[in-house]
Amino acid sequence: MTEQIAVPFEQAPDRDTEIMTVNVGPHHPATHGVLRLVVDLEGELVREVRPVIGYVHTGIEKSCEDKSYWKVIPFVERMDYVSYFFQMEAFCGAVERLIDLEIPPRAKYLRTIFLELNRIHSHLVWLGTTALDLGAISMLWYCFRERDKILDLFEMATGQRMHTRYFQVGGVIEDIPVGFEAKCRKFAEEMPIRVGQYEDLLDRNEVFLQRTKGTGVVSRERLLELGVTGPLLRAAGDPWDLRKAFDYLVYPELDFKIPVGTVGDNYDRYRVRVAEMVESASIVRQCLDALPEGPYIADDRKYVLPPRSELSTSMESLIHHFKLVTEGYRVAPGEVYYSIEGPRGELGCFVLADGSAKPARVHFRDPSFVNLQSFRDMAVDGYVADMIASLGMLDPILGGVDR
Amino acid sequence: MSFDPKSASYLDSIEVVEVQRGPKPGGVGGAYRAFGETLRGLKTTMARLIEGPMTIEYPEEKTPVYPRFRGRHKLHKFEDTGLEKCVGCSLCAAACPADCIRVVAAENIPGDRVSAGERYAAVYEINLSRCIFCGYCEIACPFDAITMGHDYEMADYDRRDLIFTKEMLLAEPVERTPLKSEGE
Ligand code: SF4
Ligand code: SF4
Repeated sequence: MTEQIAVPFEQAPDRDTEIMTVNVGPHHPATHGVLRLVVDLEGELVREVRPVIGYVHTGIEKSCEDKSYWKVIPFVERMDYVSYFFQMEAFCGAVERLIDLEIPPRAKYLRTIFLELNRIHSHLVWLGTTALDLGAISMLWYCFRERDKILDLFEMATGQRMHTRYFQVGGVIEDIPVGFEAKCRKFAEEMPIRVGQYEDLLDRNEVFLQRTKGTGVVSRERLLELGVTGPLLRAAGDPWDLRKAFDYLVYPELDFKIPVGTVGDNYDRYRVRVAEMVESASIVRQCLDALPEGPYIADDRKYVLPPRSELSTSMESLIHHFKLVTEGYRVAPGEVYYSIEGPRGELGCFVLADGSAKPARVHFRDPSFVNLQSFRDMAVDGYVADMIASLGMLDPILGGVDR
Repeated sequence: MSFDPKSASYLDSIEVVEVQRGPKPGGVGGAYRAFGETLRGLKTTMARLIEGPMTIEYPEEKTPVYPRFRGRHKLHKFEDTGLEKCVGCSLCAAACPADCIRVVAAENIPGDRVSAGERYAAVYEINLSRCIFCGYCEIACPFDAITMGHDYEMADYDRRDLIFTKEMLLAEPVERTPLKSEGE
């Protein structure tokens, strides 16, 4: 790798330097959460790095075993607190596959719209905070400005800016309000222009180039060995994207490209994610164009709450409502693994049902956790400043890592 | 659904674009970019001036919320009779994922009715320091007795003050949060 910036141990300029062990974090803004890095430094060079995780372990997976299926949804949202819609989709999709429930087309489109908005939101948080680490402070304001617009859209449709519990088993909990489509379309049309502004600021900025080009290079083969997915793998040149590989929601009907990098350094990671934001905005536009009319949640009284209007008129609906709220629905014994393309890579949900109204096991394959394994390969033999850049470009969300 | 990433069918089904690499840092180009590109960046920032501020002066000016916004809960009474809508059925407590609602029901005494149903909630408490504002209680209540209001300023100095009793939930909040219209 000719472009790589790394100084192997044997070639270090000053071999007398002692190895010094330094703790970075757990409370350090550059670790993007509560991550502790135990770093062995030889002067400015990183010789070994050991990430220590577990500071925000919340036991959510365990708590889920104690809740009926619909109550699990607000729990799993809170793992990776930047990509909550993805977690909901992973869990709801898994349960829908267990109980073999087909969701109506409108719900599929609505879910896709919210997932892609959430992907843009997640990438904006990444870009803002990472650029901030590299000294580009205005990026934070710019990215959070657009992020706020996305959060406004979330609030308008779902009632909450974060942790919306909007996806339910069978579809989405309520239809989008009047005016949402227009507002969302306006945003999706504006977003590529905004991305152009970010690129104007960063793409050819000398400081940014110096900090990102050739730093944190990991080869595609090594990433595959470690099980890394998502933008990190695509930046190394592997066009692996579950949205294309698997058939879920309405992705097969949509037309979008997969941006890939060539070298696999931090600059490629930046470019790939920025290009993904533009693609996501285009997906949102396509979904809004094709959004079909019809029900937004499946009409299956066994699993789905009856509409509110029926509660005062139909005794049967009221009984279903009581039963679903108090006990929930039983799921026949079985297990399923359902994975989707999250903003950080393959987000999978495993659900084991034992015939009761509560899942026997809920497990998430969180991409942040797996991707963090590649951090040692990125940082060792590089400079400590590049380690910070690599960590930002890795984009781990510690809520997802620790769960 | 099984797919081999290297298989020709996968690679045929996708459209891949390679991202640009940008210039090589350092050298003469670097010296130029240190000025030229910085100025171009400055142009981008300056052009944003005409867009005006995106922020609001928060404590003086409150963020308006959308009608669907889920803030502090409210309990409701019937407007004509003044009786409480809540009948103490505990469905909301059963639905709450955070287990933060406590309902103790009691029988209505004829002549001194509290609610419209047979029973009423003698104790109704929501521990707002545990509440995750999911709104499941609102969905669960078959009598529209509890709804999510629009108030979001709930910070307090003592956790005990965050346990809201029935009286507090029935009372109208002092300061109303401004509301956005659906189309805004
Ligand atoms: S909003 Fe959710 S957490 Fe809060 S009281 Fe209602 S059901 Fe419980
Ligand atoms: S608020 Fe509604 S659900 Fe809760 S106890 Fe009262 S009537 Fe039942």
